[in-house]
Amino acid sequence: MSNKPFNSFDLAQSQFDRMADRLGLDDPARELLRWPMRETQFLIPIRTDDGPVKIFRGFRVLHNDARGPGKGGIRFHPQETIDTIRALAMWMTWKCALMDIPLGGSHGGVVCDPHNLSLREQEQLCRGWVRQLSRDLGPRIDVPAPEIMTNAQHMLWMLDEFEAIRGERTPGFITGKPVGMGGSLGRLEAAGFGLVFVLREALKELGIPPEETTASVQGFGNVGQYAVRLFQQMGGKVVCVACWDQKEGTSYSYKKESGVDFNSLAGITDRFGGIDKKKAAALGYDVLPGSAWLEQDVDILIPAAIENQITIDNVKKIPPKVKIVAEGANGPMTSEAETVMAGRNIFLIPDILANAGGVTCSYFEQVQSSMNYYWEKDEVLGKLDVKMTAAFHSVLELAKEKGLSMRDAAFYIAIARVAQACRDRGWI
Amino acid sequence: MDKSFSKSLAQFDRQFFTGREKFTLIGRGGLGGKAHGLAAMEDILEQQLGGRFAPDIQVVIPTLTVITTDFFDFFMKDNRLYDIALSEARDDLIAQAFQKAELPAPLVGDLRALISQVHTPLAVRSSSMLEDAMFEPFASVYATKMIPNNQWDADTRFRKLAEAVKYVYASTFFKDARNYMRATKHTTADEKMAVIIQEVVGARYGDRFYPHISGVARSHNFYPLGHATPGQGVVDLALGLGKSIVDDGVGWTFSPAYPQANPPYISIHDLLEQSQTSFWAINMGPPGEYNPIQETEYMLKFNLTDAERDGTLRFIASTYRPEDDKIVFGIAEHGPRIIDFAPLLKFELIPLNSMLRTLLKICEDRLERMVEIEFAMTLDERRGTPARFGFLQVRPMVVSDAKVDVSLAELVGEHVLVASESVLGNGILDDIQDIVYVKPEKFSPNVTQTIAGQLEGLNQRLTASHVPYLLIGFGRWGSTDPLGGIPVNFGQICGAKAIVESTLPEMNFMLSQGTHFFHNITSFRVLYFSVPHWEKYTIDWPWLGRQTAVAETELVRHIKLPTPLKIKVDGTTSRGVIYHA
Repeated sequence: MSNKPFNSFDLAQSQFDRMADRLGLDDPARELLRWPMRETQFLIPIRTDDGPVKIFRGFRVLHNDARGPGKGGIRFHPQETIDTIRALAMWMTWKCALMDIPLGGSHGGVVCDPHNLSLREQEQLCRGWVRQLSRDLGPRIDVPAPEIMTNAQHMLWMLDEFEAIRGERTPGFITGKPVGMGGSLGRLEAAGFGLVFVLREALKELGIPPEETTASVQGFGNVGQYAVRLFQQMGGKVVCVACWDQKEGTSYSYKKESGVDFNSLAGITDRFGGIDKKKAAALGYDVLPGSAWLEQDVDILIPAAIENQITIDNVKKIPPKVKIVAEGANGPMTSEAETVMAGRNIFLIPDILANAGGVTCSYFEQVQSSMNYYWEKDEVLGKLDVKMTAAFHSVLELAKEKGLSMRDAAFYIAIARVAQACRDRGWI
Repeated sequence: MDKSFSKSLAQFDRQFFTGREKFTLIGRGGLGGKAHGLAAMEDILEQQLGGRFAPDIQVVIPTLTVITTDFFDFFMKDNRLYDIALSEARDDLIAQAFQKAELPAPLVGDLRALISQVHTPLAVRSSSMLEDAMFEPFASVYATKMIPNNQWDADTRFRKLAEAVKYVYASTFFKDARNYMRATKHTTADEKMAVIIQEVVGARYGDRFYPHISGVARSHNFYPLGHATPGQGVVDLALGLGKSIVDDGVGWTFSPAYPQANPPYISIHDLLEQSQTSFWAINMGPPGEYNPIQETEYMLKFNLTDAERDGTLRFIASTYRPEDDKIVFGIAEHGPRIIDFAPLLKFELIPLNSMLRTLLKICEDRLERMVEIEFAMTLDERRGTPARFGFLQVRPMVVSDAKVDVSLAELVGEHVLVASESVLGNGILDDIQDIVYVKPEKFSPNVTQTIAGQLEGLNQRLTASHVPYLLIGFGRWGSTDPLGGIPVNFGQICGAKAIVESTLPEMNFMLSQGTHFFHNITSFRVLYFSVPHWEKYTIDWPWLGRQTAVAETELVRHIKLPTPLKIKVDGTTSRGVIYHA
């Protein structure tokens, strides 16, 4: 058992330190890149529907913008901490650099549980968050996007508030907007599809036909749902899906040995990715504890929920059959767990690569919004696939060349690019 | 069968021209008939033909990748297209709906990668599970779209490729295809479409891109010329894209046994009029009207002056010398050019004829039946050699082997409605009671398009009731030039089990010579009679006029007889006769 509570930022910094050693970065570079360049913490007062005012805590962290404006999500989550936001901002920097898109890394959030907020209250929260940050946000400064428990409607409220403050239309201020209101076709699918694009390349690398594989997925939100859909379209079979049950305050795994039916399961899922337990049971799914997804005898595990899900405590429960872990979530695995997995020769597709489809498509959206000209979905997904595939192969090639793990190779490429940008700008 | 090929062929590795494999697949479904035919020939061409005609001719299957049929299934289901596809909606509405739909996510990355590195024209061709398949002749029903693919930015090239793929998918459900399905007793549920994306063999001259030679070679000739026999086959050659031969019915026809013999034109004047005077090319210049649902969006017709300016007539043309009313080989002299391929066929600058004979034999042996192949070539612009021969397609010909004898004596008599010594097909029909014919007294080349529309309506009614019929008309059936015949496609007359093509004294029509259109007719064992007015045997128009019409327009009559006709065609002598009671 590990005694120290998990801290995402510790993990992110240790990943950076390891690669900084490998890259031989000098002290100024290390100091600059292992900390955010700017942090904002603030309070948002909201008058609730019942009358009283409640105070919410908000954050925005810009890790690094040497390669371009900051880019990162806004998370509404009751367990949000500044360290989680710092880690996510840092990972965004690496992710954008790895995908070779001209953006930096940032992240933000509000400590809240939107399940317990009315739509009006959520709108007030969104507008309040933007009011606090309007000077530090913008298409050429820092560009927010949806993340856990935020969606297109939230983005549109934020855009509206920002435009009201600035007195102009700036659709490039935020991404993840609804299609028709400055959003990009393919944005919803991008993170999940992107994961499957690199998973497909990993299967090719291992010489495994997709139609002969099975998978278990944790999380049935945006990433999980679209990953399941495309993986099944490629011929693979998903036998287990786990998700959070808001009513019961715990998670469950839903299993069907013959393969989950995406459409029927999506039809009983709420907008936060929660599957209706009773209806799932009625559809013939075995309802298992939330941790059971990890123990399924499958070829592929896709953790696509939140951080810290595969730890030293449960990594040994991963069955021997598992050949690939594709990290749909950010930081779903601890370093200790990863060391154990590496010993078992499991092919890992690290988070900054596997879930980079979302930010890549966000970039496409920002480009389209700036032009005010929008592409067909074929075009968006075609570009996404090419970007994802190219990034996968650059990581794989480096991993082979330098004898690195896939994660280290991905960090190596990303950190080298960001450090070079900082040097080119004369910062260090 | 398809699956076995798809397993042995390599998956597309995102390297189109530079990849190790030149014949690759995207997907894990079926290849469709056209791609299947090419896959069947790939190794054999290499083994049996590879170095045999080198260095004069390099024989290749142009680089291609096949989008297998599983993507068609995804595309149809994910976009919920079956409702409109199986409706009776107009072709353009179906095509529009398909254009709005999204290609499957696992496909678009490969297309994007392909288009990012390829800047030369591409042919996006149908390869349906029924089309051209080994036992299911289904030729030329579905669309092929040529795209110039020379736009500066990859986004535009990608969009054009995606539009072309969707257009080919949509053509599965166009009216002609649906009619064809009915005629062949298939249902649309049988059909799945693969798509071939293939390099176009050719060269660029300013705003034009075209092969120096395109051709169709058949191992059986339904119209043997001169001393040639049906089994010696026939070849059509044309300048530019093969559309001239396949759709326009224009080209230089010769028997591989007698390559130096001219086609049987009546006079030099006739030859000048009937030989190729224009050619099709891909438009590499400023695009015309944007119309992703038009097959010829990027194709243009040019005349021989353009080709001469390009320098592409040197090895394929002769010149008419009016002073002495003679044809002189080559283009050294001024005068009207004639595309007769004389340097290649008469002087054997390259062993093209010999190679075609070998190729037909190889294909026949491989498919174990008579075959038809399509090809395109480029020649070295200075010396003619080396030439690059692109093998585009092979499909089997279906020929009845039932023994039917028609003697000369049978061609005359009181009950003879039609007789001819130039008949295509083989067999006996004795269940046809319906005749649809174009009224000779009303016919004029100016009304052929109206006639086509009226025939289509009658054909629809008769095929819906499963009533076979005899069709009689004037000029070249399926002509793309309305002045050269009735411009129908086969879907518009697909219920006809016997077809008569005739002329009237005031007409100067050249009847068809086994064009692509007639491949369909013979494949479906439709009996075809050629009855020009100058021949000995004609049509009993007065008898037809005396029969009572069940339907009639200004230009077309439909009569129903109380007793069936008897139709006999002797495929070995090319004689045929139609008796009425």
